[in-house]
Amino acid sequence: MALSGVRIYGIMRKEFKHILRDWQTLMIVIAMPLVMMFLYGFALTLDIHDLAVMVQAQPDSRAARHIIRSIDASDMFAVISVRRHIVNPLDTIRKYHSKALIILPADLDRRLESRTSPADISVYIDGSDPNTGTLLRNMIKPFIQNSLMEYLGFDPPKVVRIRPYILYNPHQESALFFVPGLMALILIMLSTLMTSLTLTREKERGTMQQLLISPLAPSEIIIGKILPYTFLALLDAFIILLAGHLFFRVRVQGSYLFLALCTVVYVVSSLGLGLIFSTVAKNQIQAIFMALPATMLPSMILSGFIFPVSSMPLFLRAVSRIIPATYYLECIRGIILKGAGPLLLWKPLLALCGIGLFFIAVAIKRFKVRL
Amino acid sequence: MNFIRMILWKEFLHIKADKLMVRLITVPVLIQLFVIGYALTVEVKNIPIAACDRSNTPQSRELLSRIQRFDRFIFKGVFPETAAKELLYRGEAKMVVIIPADFSKEILDKEGSAVQLIADGQDANSSKVALGYCSMIIGNWARHKLEFRLTQMGMDIKTLIPVEINIDILFNSMLKSTWFMIPALAVLLITIVTALLTGFSIVKERENGTFEQLMVTPVKSIHVIIGKAVPFIIIGLIEMSVVMLVATFWFKIPFRGSLVTLFVFALTYMISSLSIGIFTSTVTRSSQQVLFLTWFILIFFILLSGFFIPVENMPRWVQILTYINPVRFFMVAVRDIFLKGSGFTLLVNELRTLLIIGVSVFSLALISFRRRVG
Repeated sequence: MALSGVRIYGIMRKEFKHILRDWQTLMIVIAMPLVMMFLYGFALTLDIHDLAVMVQAQPDSRAARHIIRSIDASDMFAVISVRRHIVNPLDTIRKYHSKALIILPADLDRRLESRTSPADISVYIDGSDPNTGTLLRNMIKPFIQNSLMEYLGFDPPKVVRIRPYILYNPHQESALFFVPGLMALILIMLSTLMTSLTLTREKERGTMQQLLISPLAPSEIIIGKILPYTFLALLDAFIILLAGHLFFRVRVQGSYLFLALCTVVYVVSSLGLGLIFSTVAKNQIQAIFMALPATMLPSMILSGFIFPVSSMPLFLRAVSRIIPATYYLECIRGIILKGAGPLLLWKPLLALCGIGLFFIAVAIKRFKVRL
Repeated sequence: MNFIRMILWKEFLHIKADKLMVRLITVPVLIQLFVIGYALTVEVKNIPIAACDRSNTPQSRELLSRIQRFDRFIFKGVFPETAAKELLYRGEAKMVVIIPADFSKEILDKEGSAVQLIADGQDANSSKVALGYCSMIIGNWARHKLEFRLTQMGMDIKTLIPVEINIDILFNSMLKSTWFMIPALAVLLITIVTALLTGFSIVKERENGTFEQLMVTPVKSIHVIIGKAVPFIIIGLIEMSVVMLVATFWFKIPFRGSLVTLFVFALTYMISSLSIGIFTSTVTRSSQQVLFLTWFILIFFILLSGFFIPVENMPRWVQILTYINPVRFFMVAVRDIFLKGSGFTLLVNELRTLLIIGVSVFSLALISFRRRVG
């Protein structure tokens, strides 16, 4: 049976009515990207600053005062307390939640002056958070050394200066980093979840049988049910981009048309995944429990959104290669940040198309089998 | 008490009857545990890096060979400048080191030579780490050169800066990500299971119309709530135990605290997470709405809990918001109990705050539940 536009339109109208009637869900669908956007915008600051440092020092030591002043003056560290005597470094870090504890010896000034034997400085670092732990491990020693050189008036030649230059996101604005990631996350969550829910709901209520005995072809039902959600997902993508533009100064460097193309391909493949779940799940809760772990987790964790894929074990790197979000993220980061076009991004786009076609084909096959 | 027992019985039957459900709350949990355990790494490895050596002297080659040998980098080779930048644009290199033409002369000057590092900033975090690594290698090389020059002049760096700095990394001496993330994962799992499943199970009765039947029986609201909550408390505790076993035996993370402390915290915390589930079920009508609302609340709580973005990094006003976030305090407690072996005396603030938040949210949920029933 040939696809009929009129019949598809009929199903679409029915589905739109469902969506519009459930205004709570609709509100969440529209408000969710905005709220997440602001949340990520303010919370997702990747620069580490003001790490809490405690110091053991004698109040009359001039060198110690100099070190403390330079720690306080830095953006990286902040002195939360200076003690004359710390008995147990472990307990102190546990109790005051300080990230590092610097023990300056009582004879610091004398040793620095006499220069016969070195002063022993101990630094205890809380390594439980490996991120700040690594940073402290690499930074604290040169930092103290530099501060002491300044105190001693010793100014050695520089040898090498480093001029860092960061491309595509020169000011390391977190918005440029999370807007593409958020688009990938929200689009797949909504499209996959909503499609799997809408079909299982019909199944749960027994209205699916009614639809199937009508003159509608299964593919017409599917297309008619999917299109409204495609529209909704694209609306969300638009909201994210607009809010990013207005509030976080995210400017798309590349072409909007190409961005839209990639987004449509991504949304369609996510919808396909949702369809597959809807053929497996018996009720809505089951659909949710399949769709959520299958979309949110990989899209957030294995796509390279936050955690670098290159650092993962080989097995997970392979898994990330079959996740649509990985390719979509590559595309939209390229378009938004680099201004890249099809010439540079045809590979990920092609992969995305392939995954999408595979999902849709499996979904249609399963759907027919279940009739 | 009899009512509670009967409702409990009924709830367990529900859970048992839904076989797929049982599988769905166990299998993904285990998969998540392993995937997240290996994926949530803040270490940045295998960074493709290219170089451009305009100087091409023994000194510049020596510096580049140090960069080449560094195990976190994948060295792509030395290229002319345009070719190196092209690699960066195509994404085949994430960083380019450019050594200036007069490198070997300039390093003898007071101000030194300027080495340029160009990083691909698309992934803000990785680029920062990559820059850090490269600066560290170059800095070490420079210090080495300086010390060498000073010795030639008959001076010793040890007497110029007479200080010995010893660094001791506590609690997680290898700085492993898994040690930090897996215990936190237990928190997330408990939260999701208790908040979401409780909400679902109450709203399902409403969807099926059995809620009214339940309410016309002599059973009181509080009985229904307890009956609904207990199975999920048990499931939550089981999931936490599974995570703990995997953490200790598979990931070899030392458990330094006491089990009693951990379970007291878990139970206290579940007052809050269960109440969130009860609350969401009273303001919604369908499973789908429960899901969206719970997800909405949890994404707030999890993002603002310090799970992967430290609370201390956030702006001041966001930090104040986190004071009402139960996930934050439970997260701190679980990590501290696990890695630092902290006991009640050190965590008394966290426990008190969790209790206050729990009682408040529970009262709110109970009021909302009674109003809905009435």
